[in-house]
Formats: sequence, C-alpha cells, structure tokens
Amino acid sequence: MSSTSVARAPRGEAQLSLAARRRVRGVAGLLIGVGGFLFVWTLLSELIFGEFTLPPPLEIGRLMWEIVRSGQFAHHFVPTILRLAYGFGLALLIGFPVGYLMGTSRWWRAFFHDMVMVAGSIPGITYAVLALVLFGISILGPVLTVGLISMPYVAINVAEGLDSVDRRLVQMSDAFGRARPAIVRNVLVPSVAPFAFAGVRLSFALAWKVEQLTEVFGSSSGVGFMIRHEFEDFSIPGMLAWVLLFVVFMILLERFVLTKLERYLFRWRLEDRA
Amino acid sequence: MSAATTATAARSTSGSVGRLLRSDAVARVASYAFLLVVWQLLAMWKERFPTPAATFGFLWIEVTGGSHGGIVRGEFLEHFAATLPRFALGIAISMVLGILSGVLIGGSKLAEALLKDTLLMLVALPAIIWAFLTQMWLGMGDTAVVITTFLSAFPFVAVNVVQGIQAVPRDLRRMSGVFHVSGLRRLRHMLIPAVMGYLFAGFRFAVIIGWNAVLLAEWFSASEGVGWRSRYWYDANRYKGFVAWVILFVGFIVLLDRLVLVRLQRRAFRWRDAQRSETERTVGEIDVGVTGA
Repeated sequence: MSSTSVARAPRGEAQLSLAARRRVRGVAGLLIGVGGFLFVWTLLSELIFGEFTLPPPLEIGRLMWEIVRSGQFAHHFVPTILRLAYGFGLALLIGFPVGYLMGTSRWWRAFFHDMVMVAGSIPGITYAVLALVLFGISILGPVLTVGLISMPYVAINVAEGLDSVDRRLVQMSDAFGRARPAIVRNVLVPSVAPFAFAGVRLSFALAWKVEQLTEVFGSSSGVGFMIRHEFEDFSIPGMLAWVLLFVVFMILLERFVLTKLERYLFRWRLEDRA
Repeated sequence: MSAATTATAARSTSGSVGRLLRSDAVARVASYAFLLVVWQLLAMWKERFPTPAATFGFLWIEVTGGSHGGIVRGEFLEHFAATLPRFALGIAISMVLGILSGVLIGGSKLAEALLKDTLLMLVALPAIIWAFLTQMWLGMGDTAVVITTFLSAFPFVAVNVVQGIQAVPRDLRRMSGVFHVSGLRRLRHMLIPAVMGYLFAGFRFAVIIGWNAVLLAEWFSASEGVGWRSRYWYDANRYKGFVAWVILFVGFIVLLDRLVLVRLQRRAFRWRDAQRSETERTVGEIDVGVTGA
C-alpha cells in the first residue's frame, strides 16, 4: 500500500505528458489497425475474390451510411438492444438467487453444477431453433436465450462474490441487531452486485451472437432478421453492411459502455487493488 | 439383500437418511429430475413441443434404424459419418492457419499493429454470417461446410496463440538473448512450453465453436449430416425428431468437451495452475466453456 502511494506521489507534468503520449499512441495504433483491416479487405476483394464475391470496403461503407441515414438502423437496433437488456435483466434476476444458493450451500452447488458447466458448450443453434419451436416468432425466444446464456456466468460470479463479502461487516451488523433482510440489502447485495455485473460482461460477447442467431431463425424485426432478409435477397453487400454495423456497434458498446459501467460499479474496490 | 439393507437403513438413526439426502449424488440426481419435470411441463404447455417420453422413443428408433412409420427409417451413423470428416478437416485447417498467423502476429510488432484489429473483428463475427456467405459463394456441398467451420474457428486459435507467445516472460527472452541460447533451444524450452497451454485452450474453443458452425452450415447447405438431419425433421414439422437430434448433437459436444478437452487443457496448463487456487480455476472463463454462435 505504501509503495503505491509513493509511486503515485509525483503527480506533475511528466506524468501528464506520459498519459497524453500513451493516448496518442493508442489512437495511432487504432488507426493503423483499422487501416490494416481495410487494406487486407481491399486486397482480398480486388485481387483474389473479385468485387461481386467480396465487395470492396467503400461500397459497404456507403451502404452502412445509407442504413444509418434512412433510419433503418434505429428501427432494427432498438428492438435487438432491448431484447438483450431484458435478457440480461432476466439473467441477473435468476442468477442472483441461484448464485446465492450455490455460494452458501454445498447441496445446491452440486445441484446446479452440471447445468452450469454444460451450458457453456451447447451450440447456439440449439437455443435458436428450440426458441422458434417453443415460442414461434416472438420476443420471448431471444430474451430467454440471452437470459439462459448469461445466467450461469452471473450465478458463478455471485457465488464467488459472496466469498469476498467482508465477514466483519456482517458480524458487526449482527452484533448491532440488524435484521437478516437488512443485512442482505445493505451489505450482501452491494458487495455482490459488481460480481454479477462482471458475469454479464463476460457473457456479453456470446449472448449477443446467439441472440442475433435467434433473430435470424424466428423474428420479424431486429438485426438478425435483416441479415436473414439480405441473405434471402441474395445480397452479399447488404448482409456485410448489416453485420459490420452490428459488430462495430457491439464492440464499441462492450469497450466503452460496459467496461466503464463495470469500473464504476467496482470503484469501491479499486483502492485495495491499486 | 435389498430387503436387509432397507431394514438396516430404517433401523439406523434418521441421520444417515438425512445425510444421504444431503449428499452431492442426490443433489445431482435431483437436478436431472428437475430438468425432466421442466421439460414435461413445457410439453404440456405447448402442444407442439414433444414430451421427454416421445422424444426418447423417437431417438431410440432413429438410432437403431427402426421404422418411423411408412418407408421412412431411422438414420443415425451415416449422418455422423458425413459430418465428422467435414468437422475434422475444418478444425485441422483452422489449427494450422491459426498457429501460423498467431506466430506471425505474436512475433512481429509490425504484423501485430496491422493485423490485431482484423483478428478481433473476425473473432466478433458470428458463424451464421460465414454459413450464409459460403452458401452464396460456393453453393451447396462439402466445401461450404468445411470453410464455414474453418472461418469460424480459426480466429480463436490465432488469438490464443498470440496470447501464448506474448505471455513468455520478457526477462526470460532477454536472458536467453544475453546467454546466446540457440534458436532451437529457445523454441524447445521457452516458447513451446509457454504456448502449449494457450494452444490447447484455443483448440478447445475451436472445437466448440466449430461444432456450432458445422451444424449451422449443414442446416443451410448440405444434403446429409447431423445439421441437415435436424433440419429435415424440423421442416417435416416432426419436432420430436428435431429435439432428438438436439440431444444427440449437444450430447456429442458436451461429452467431447467434458471428457476430453477439459482434461487435455488442464494437463497443458498444469504448470501454471499449480499455484492458483481451485476456486480461481473454476471461475475463469476457461471452465465455463464457450457457447459457439
């Protein structure tokens, strides 16, 4: 602890310029990376596959802009994002009690063990088609799919988070005669919540992919539906435009929104981590 | 024998029965019973969803090659026989190219700057896109399926190899430079042991993600195989056939993962995990698995 405070002490221009330099380097790295991506793509498109098979980036970029400008982007992204949000809400709602049981009782840990372990290797197509058979074309399919996929991550993290709860705080609350519900609400939930959220963030990358797959199979709106629509129109550029918009959007969402939110939730822990 | 044990069990203190009920084995049995009950309730709620009994009955006919009524007979082995070579070939290609590009990106600063983001983009692309694209590019047939498998799995191998190479401690690299350790010895004693664990992790990702990809690709562009057969029953509105195949293909990957891949990976990471606690290991993403999408 003392060594870190010493290391942090000289907070002067030298450090500022270091941070600035690091930021410049980060932006430059990103530009080079994106440049590399576009370069590889153009190369493949022009030299190997031809424009019909793999349309050049410029054409896809134009289409992407068209999708955003015409309002189709908002029209199909909003339902997709909402379904994801509902699904994560569901995962938290179920994952909390399941994680609590797993974290506090050996029997319940054994009860959920196989389900949680196996859930991770089930192919996404299973969820997509079963949802279609069970619910038809409905919002329930994607929402339940997202919930089922991220629930194990939330539960495991909650079970793990319970271990990190400050026992002395619980003992003190007991000593001062706080009721059990009050302890759960004021001590357990706040210290476990960040772990639950970390579970959501861990499962985010798979959850949106499978959600989109359920939309491909059975939905009448959303990004997956549009991808299917373009496929049935035999439009390679249209499909690529939708997919890339979606992937870029999701990467940005994960990097900037979710990571920031997680840091915000975890901020009370940063002190003992630093 | 059983009567005697029941008698002793009854005579013994209620504690032992309680202990039995509280044991892990009973908890596991209870969880499977719970799942079956949920399934049965789902089937009673939605008429078109098959009951467990109907599904397992169908599964039995399909596996033993009995008659589904009329001239339609159960088919099982021929579809796995069609799928597995495509799957294996796709995974093999993705391993070879994944290792090559991983070594390139992990070993060269320039290649990393230029290609790392491309790789992350490929990781983020869902398998369905490759299934659709290969169908449009190549039409129906084996090639589309193999290429979909390869394209979906390959980025995960590459990313893991890159991580493995970058995980070689810098001090070790510098020291071997200072002491003029030959390239071959460096490869043998420094690089390969460090990368091996990551490579196995990548292999496991590739297998799980590739399995989903092969099923999706067969769903859209094959005329035999596991994915095709599931679709066949789905299209025929015989959902118990579809659910029976879900049991087959989920069972296949779960057994492969739990019995082979997880153990391989644990072995490969043994040297690293020895110092980490057991709980840490079960929490990491590694053990929960990677739903292929």
